[in-house]
Amino acid sequence: MAQHRDQITAAFLSRALSDCQPMQNESSSSIWVVCPAYNEATTIASVLTGLCQAGYHVVVVDDGSIDHTPQLAAERATAVVSHPINLGQGAALKTGIDFALAQGADILVTFDTDGQHRASDIPRLLDALARNRADFALGSRFLGRSRNMPRMRRVLLHAARLFTTATTGLRLTDTHNGLRALTRRGAAALRLRQNRMAHASEMLAEIARSGLRYVEVPVTIEYTAHSLAKGQHTGDFVMILLDLLARKLYR
Amino acid sequence: MIAQVMLSLLLGIVLVYAWAEYRRSPTVAVLSCIVSLMGFYFVWIPSHATGVAELFGIGRGADLVLYLWVCISLIVLLNLHLKLRTQHELLTALARSIALANAIMSTDSMRHPGISRNSLLREAGWPKA
Repeated sequence: MAQHRDQITAAFLSRALSDCQPMQNESSSSIWVVCPAYNEATTIASVLTGLCQAGYHVVVVDDGSIDHTPQLAAERATAVVSHPINLGQGAALKTGIDFALAQGADILVTFDTDGQHRASDIPRLLDALARNRADFALGSRFLGRSRNMPRMRRVLLHAARLFTTATTGLRLTDTHNGLRALTRRGAAALRLRQNRMAHASEMLAEIARSGLRYVEVPVTIEYTAHSLAKGQHTGDFVMILLDLLARKLYR
Repeated sequence: MIAQVMLSLLLGIVLVYAWAEYRRSPTVAVLSCIVSLMGFYFVWIPSHATGVAELFGIGRGADLVLYLWVCISLIVLLNLHLKLRTQHELLTALARSIALANAIMSTDSMRHPGISRNSLLREAGWPKA
């Protein structure tokens, strides 16, 4: 059954990606920024403007938004991919990664659209990839800076760090940071199945499994009322643990 | 005796279910097997059930069997939840393929600054030697 399911999934994807040809020859060597977005109409315009001005390809994965997010994204991004229904941030990232790989991306950057991240941190991630000959550059707010982080969030993130060290062996300072850069080889090595918030832990488990080199990079995270309302809540960490446990139980 | 036969039939169905589920979810199948075999044992040797129940402070063997049945129900519920997740994975693959097939590409050349992107790569030391 599991094999059958995987075959169906692979068939869906190969069919869709075969229809999704690279747009230009020049894009065969490029940086693609993958932006998952769900009801981000208040922030997405400024986020995309910053990324496009910096000269990156930007693919926005609209995760079934019911506001003006897809329209605002279409006015600014290089490409917009829209989920017909809301699937979750993990699913949106996976869709964006598949899309960027199909476009011939050499480097992929994952970037949140709630305004927490700074486009000016991306060159630092790319530089870290090149200097360390790494396949994953993971942003860390604890090596860099964070503004207006609630105390409870800090405690939970430290608990998540301990959990990640215990389950994957990766020694990181920040395990739930959405700002990362991946090489094409690194992105292709990830097998992501978690649709919702557990994708961050799953990605780290996959990085550990791949055996590819990773490096942490100081970045700045700016919490706003909007990002706090949209971000993870205390109860989400329980659901993340349940999701990860469920994946262990089921093939 | 009628109750014992009825319970045995139900436990037999659980065993068949566990056997059928083994390939998909071995953990759930093994748990279901263990609990239903314990159920068989206690249904047919109730005096042992009473002894074990007293050991756990439950009081009556019948109550122990009831609790075992609750355990079986919870395991089946867990398996249903996991199956639902599988269905959701298929739904995700379908939604993703629809999304990718209908991707909207910008025709604005300003949003495809290929040369500057490549120069960014070169500045960052890419492609690697």
